[in-house]
Amino acid sequence: MIEELLKATIETLYMTFFSTLIAFMAGLPLGILLYLLSKKKDHASKIIYTFFDFIINIFRSIPFIILIILLIPLTKLIAGTIIGANSAIVSLSIAAIPFMARLCENSFNSLSHEMLDTASSMGMTTWQLITKVLIPESLPEIISNTTILIINLITYTAIAGAVGAGGLGAMAINYGYQRFRADILLYTVSILVIITQLVQFAGTLLSKRLRR
Amino acid sequence: MLRLEDVNLFYQKNNHVLKNISFETQKEEILGIIGLSGAGKSSLLKTFNLLQRPSSGKIFLDNILITDLKKKELRQVRKQISVVFQNYNLLNSRTVFENVALALELEHQKFIEPTVLNVLEKVGLSHRKDAYISQLSGGEKQRTAIARAVVTNPKILLLDEPTSALDPKTTEKILDLVLYVNKELGITTIVVTHEMEVIKRICDRVLYLKDGTIKFLGQTHRLFIEKDSQILEDFYEEINIDKELINQKLEKKESHLLRIVFWGSSTHCPVISTLSLKYSVTSNILYGKIEHLKNNPYGTLILEISENPNYSDFLNELKKNVYFCEELTGGGK
Repeated sequence: MIEELLKATIETLYMTFFSTLIAFMAGLPLGILLYLLSKKKDHASKIIYTFFDFIINIFRSIPFIILIILLIPLTKLIAGTIIGANSAIVSLSIAAIPFMARLCENSFNSLSHEMLDTASSMGMTTWQLITKVLIPESLPEIISNTTILIINLITYTAIAGAVGAGGLGAMAINYGYQRFRADILLYTVSILVIITQLVQFAGTLLSKRLRR
Repeated sequence: MLRLEDVNLFYQKNNHVLKNISFETQKEEILGIIGLSGAGKSSLLKTFNLLQRPSSGKIFLDNILITDLKKKELRQVRKQISVVFQNYNLLNSRTVFENVALALELEHQKFIEPTVLNVLEKVGLSHRKDAYISQLSGGEKQRTAIARAVVTNPKILLLDEPTSALDPKTTEKILDLVLYVNKELGITTIVVTHEMEVIKRICDRVLYLKDGTIKFLGQTHRLFIEKDSQILEDFYEEINIDKELINQKLEKKESHLLRIVFWGSSTHCPVISTLSLKYSVTSNILYGKIEHLKNNPYGTLILEISENPNYSDFLNELKKNVYFCEELTGGGK
């Protein structure tokens, strides 16, 4: 039983880690793009922004369990199967990318709006603006937002578990709910709580360290 | 040298913010742009490096028409026009040293360290170089912002309300620093302010902006002589003048009232008493004030001269010996 709990924990961590990574790598650039587009005054940028804004809102409004079902064809294409941790990562990432993009956009928006003027007046290129101003200045904020994202993803893995992804969520349902093993339900939930607490603790600590 | 030709700016169709602005900076001067809130000062400042593109008109930097430049060339030009923003806009993720070094990093310059240390020394922040921005006082933030602006050795330095957030004592120190930087590095400086004190302390010339138009452009002391006292009334409160007393005297017409301005060499000579003796006229001082415009004494005097046969001779010689002299007449202010 302990072996199975351990295996489920590792699966949960595996799914959370890789979907966070993908969400971060895709969501951060998307967030930067959204922010820069929203600050531009020309017509084309406004249209592109509205388009992205619309798409992101759609993805964020679909309940995750429905999203998993809608993404079955895509999951099959990418992971080859719709069962298991790797398949879950596909739908977890796709749910998380728009969320992360929005969180990043908000982090950048909390910077002084004059920062952009300062950067242009110093003759910065867009790349310099991103690497020297936007990211370093909002890093503490991005870290706390990533913490929120990770915790969200942990609960999402449990939902994914209900439809064959494995992990702690699956174990809680299979043993705890379907076989009336309250003890296992308690164990899995306790592990989820501990993971969440640890992530939040680490995120808060890191973010605080970076805040000058 | 920065030159504007017929610059106009509209926000929306009917909000005419800047109206036919034309002027040119002079080499290594400190030019003050003064105006009340909403006069268009900040908008004007933003047009200098095209942070705000004018709706029409031309802007030149050293005879390069910058309003026509491509993005890449404009970036290079902007590096020659440094801006110190009202809120400093320093990077919180960097130390004082790193903030100042930022401008040089953009150029991929080597030997950043000695240059930065040298500038920090000049602005008096060597001891704070490793502090983060949140640990600084307002004055120190302003010094850091000025250091960051001048470290690239720009042609033009723009200061947006540099003292509006500072206490009087810190204001004085920052203004001294601006004077020092202007003199030491020979950077043409443009200061936007709503405080006449700033103009008096550091500016060689003044541009007075009202409702988007230039109402006055010239040397600082000329602003104070301007007969159109409306310019001054907005800012410069000669409250000490007993206007009622002067108006009463003007109405009675028993004596002559003279407004005399001393500037430069005339401030050091006892002109009035010499001439009073010479023409045996008696004078009565109704108002007097001496202040300093960029360390040059500037004196204003309002005299009452009693009726006297020698009066016109006295007035003629007085006019030759003082910087400015006018006879006050009734109906005026």
